[in-house]
Amino acid sequence: MSWLIGATLFWLAAWALNVRLAASRFGATRAGRITVAALFGITLLVLWEGLVRGFAVSPIILPGPSVIGPKIASSLPILWADFVQTVIKGALTGFAIGALAAFAAAIAIDRSPFLQKGLLPIGNFVSALPIVGLAPVLVMWFGFDWQSKAAVVVVMVFFPLLVNMVAGLQATDRLHRDLMATYSATYTQRLLKLRLPAAMPFFFNGLKIAATLALIGAIVAEFFGSPIVGMGFRISTEVGKLGLDMVWATIAVAALSGSALYGLIALIESRVTFWHPSQRK
Amino acid sequence: MTRAMPVLTVLGAIFALWYLAAIWMNATWVYDQAQRAGTTVTLAQVIPQTMAQARPLLPPPHQVAAELWKGVTAQAITSKRSLVYHGYVTFRGTMMGFALGIVLGVALAMAIVRFRVMELSVMPWAIISQTIPIVALAPMILTVSNQIGIDNREVPKAIISAYLSFFPVLVSMVKGLRSPDHMQLDLLSTYGASDGQTFRKLRLPASLPYFFASLKVAIAAALIGTIVGELPTGAIEGLGARMLIGSQFGEPLIMWAALFAAAILAGGLILIVGLIERMAQARMGVPA
Amino acid sequence: MKKYLTAAALATFATGAQAQDVTLQLKWVTQAQFAGYYVAQAKGFYEEEGLNVTIKPGGPDIAPTQVIAGGGADVVVEWMPAALAAREKGLPLVNIAQPFKSSGMMLTCLAESGITTPADFADKTLGVWFFGNEYPFLSWMSQLNLKTDGSAGGVTVLKQGFNVDPLLQKQAACISTMTYNEYWQVIDAGIAESDLITFKYQDQGVATMEDGLYVLEENLADPAFEEKMVKFVRASMKGWKYAEENADEAAMIVLENDETGAQTESHQKRMMSEVAKLTAGSNGALDPADYERTVASLLSPGSDPVISKAPEGAWTHAISDKALQ
Repeated sequence: MSWLIGATLFWLAAWALNVRLAASRFGATRAGRITVAALFGITLLVLWEGLVRGFAVSPIILPGPSVIGPKIASSLPILWADFVQTVIKGALTGFAIGALAAFAAAIAIDRSPFLQKGLLPIGNFVSALPIVGLAPVLVMWFGFDWQSKAAVVVVMVFFPLLVNMVAGLQATDRLHRDLMATYSATYTQRLLKLRLPAAMPFFFNGLKIAATLALIGAIVAEFFGSPIVGMGFRISTEVGKLGLDMVWATIAVAALSGSALYGLIALIESRVTFWHPSQRK
Repeated sequence: MTRAMPVLTVLGAIFALWYLAAIWMNATWVYDQAQRAGTTVTLAQVIPQTMAQARPLLPPPHQVAAELWKGVTAQAITSKRSLVYHGYVTFRGTMMGFALGIVLGVALAMAIVRFRVMELSVMPWAIISQTIPIVALAPMILTVSNQIGIDNREVPKAIISAYLSFFPVLVSMVKGLRSPDHMQLDLLSTYGASDGQTFRKLRLPASLPYFFASLKVAIAAALIGTIVGELPTGAIEGLGARMLIGSQFGEPLIMWAALFAAAILAGGLILIVGLIERMAQARMGVPA
Repeated sequence: MKKYLTAAALATFATGAQAQDVTLQLKWVTQAQFAGYYVAQAKGFYEEEGLNVTIKPGGPDIAPTQVIAGGGADVVVEWMPAALAAREKGLPLVNIAQPFKSSGMMLTCLAESGITTPADFADKTLGVWFFGNEYPFLSWMSQLNLKTDGSAGGVTVLKQGFNVDPLLQKQAACISTMTYNEYWQVIDAGIAESDLITFKYQDQGVATMEDGLYVLEENLADPAFEEKMVKFVRASMKGWKYAEENADEAAMIVLENDETGAQTESHQKRMMSEVAKLTAGSNGALDPADYERTVASLLSPGSDPVISKAPEGAWTHAISDKALQ
């Protein structure tokens, strides 16, 4: 009981502090924003721990952060191997192939309005499909190692990216196009100097969506067959062994890699599309 | 017609490629079988055999279509052998998750726009929540909801589906509720409008286009969530469960049919949401 | 059928006994592997005992041990290695009955892979189920002195999904199969029995006990629960014996209970006839000799034994003795 009360008190205190921080001048600074967000995250962990201890939840149902933390620390080599297998080999390879293919395909069909009109509705439709369902098929086709995981990721990210990229290539101002025409710029020049840069905000939007899809795809595919390493493998095996601390450790790594990937793309985006209004401070 | 032509051409090309791929991929098995039987086959003999295998690597389109047709028409739609029934189960789960996701997304967006502390503390975590692969959480959600006494297997599915669908709504709604510009806000404050009034008369109407735009993304996400929820956590009914059973019992046709049923369901849902969006736009006087 | 059920229900009411609720968590999806329980349900055996039984199908991500720990079931169908491993993790599961006498697990290899004896496994890729089902395989490999970490001279382990594709696509030299299920999928796929080599765990002397009924130790202390389980085991075993004798009818009952509607009659009928071979010879009581062999196999020397010490109190005859009187 005392755990529950303690956790609730902590929550209230942290919340009150956050309200004050948010209203203060410190809250407007970058450090302030991070502090508030971090404090909120810590509150969630404390509440979780308090609930688990307060209700005496069995560690094979839901372990508390105090169990998961040490587990992460003590299984770093395993977690690292899983990370390499699933994120680097599976998700990132697939992500890179899918992104490059979408980029190339968008440019390839750029000169053919006919193909664009044909591919866009289909691309839009396919982006909305539950592609995850293809995972067992692709595992059957490409074998159980990371290649099949990368294939799932490629299929998942290709269409959202293609649609975004095609839309981006068409997103130039009349004014800008006219300017290029007065310069008598060639197709390649127009593409490189005007249309590709103009398409970048759209492309990065697509990349951000695709980044989360990539991890989901790679992990789901591991449920349908994998070598004995990988995050999806770890999760499904450890659930069966009641090693819930390991499951949550893997989930934490997944969240961390997902956030890192997202952050990395956002960072590159801010460098590449520094001119776009949304990047202005 | 001018709009349909390109799409039909591309679709035609896809089907042609599909047939070629089916021949190419299924041929290995025919050759292997012939080798095991100690006979040789010519290419002309191989092709028809790749079109009608019981467990093809890639079933040709007509095989999938036939299985789909059988799943829809061969029995009463209330039968558990009917794809319509399983489609309905998935549809129900999707709708529950979708509704839950909308409520959650809108409520959070309102709180975030109203309270700065909510924005600072919740928004970053909402983004991080989407980077957690939901499949990893699915079994956890199932056991935990079991533990707290929720026995209904629809609920965990709806939670997973809501988890994926709330985010697009949240992001769009925050944008939408913030879309009124300073002039408009200033006007209301000269009228002495209260917070509540500003919200009802300005922010809410201004956010509606954003809201409807986000629904299309959210419904697709809700469907993915439902299928992921059906795939590993229960495997009892729904299109996701049929994919799993099809895969497990070596009945690829069942799996493909379920996959296409899911695609058709997705198409239908997006069409309906698009229709609602257009109706709402028309009522709000947005030029078509 | 319906009339019969109503009559049984009325009889229960007449005697004034409240129907007792029992929730059973299966290890896997609805299939003939669990026919006994479905038969006992459909034939009213549970009702005759005054039980109201709910059967929950399992799935790839459902660990029965976790479900029972979370209070989602009173009794679960589980394999002994997973149950003992859970016991070591601090979840005191007790076997109260063992409807499966023999193990149905085996490794099925393509003859063309050149494997003829277990010694040939070295440097080959073998498909294994995980999720708690890997323990028998790991202990067998450690008895063969084959490393499973992928190092040279050992075996490469692949976590196979839920089907036999890795063998058909030649991604693995051997895959795990059950005599009553996956083996026949390989045959159905068009590979002749003569093109296959099989190694049954039972024949290799490394068989571990499969489908048993497990409950939480603390619940057994309660006489009311104990009585409920006695009734449950009695009715379940009646269901099993009925299923053995009427395999086709049992398969049809299973099919009626399959909510995915994707299972086929031919699969289930054949599965039932194969399962009947495994349940034959068990009256429900656990055979201590089988138990000792399972424990010995799991403790067997090797880098990573499944359990570190011989468990105590992991099974009891208290329930089955009373049920079988």
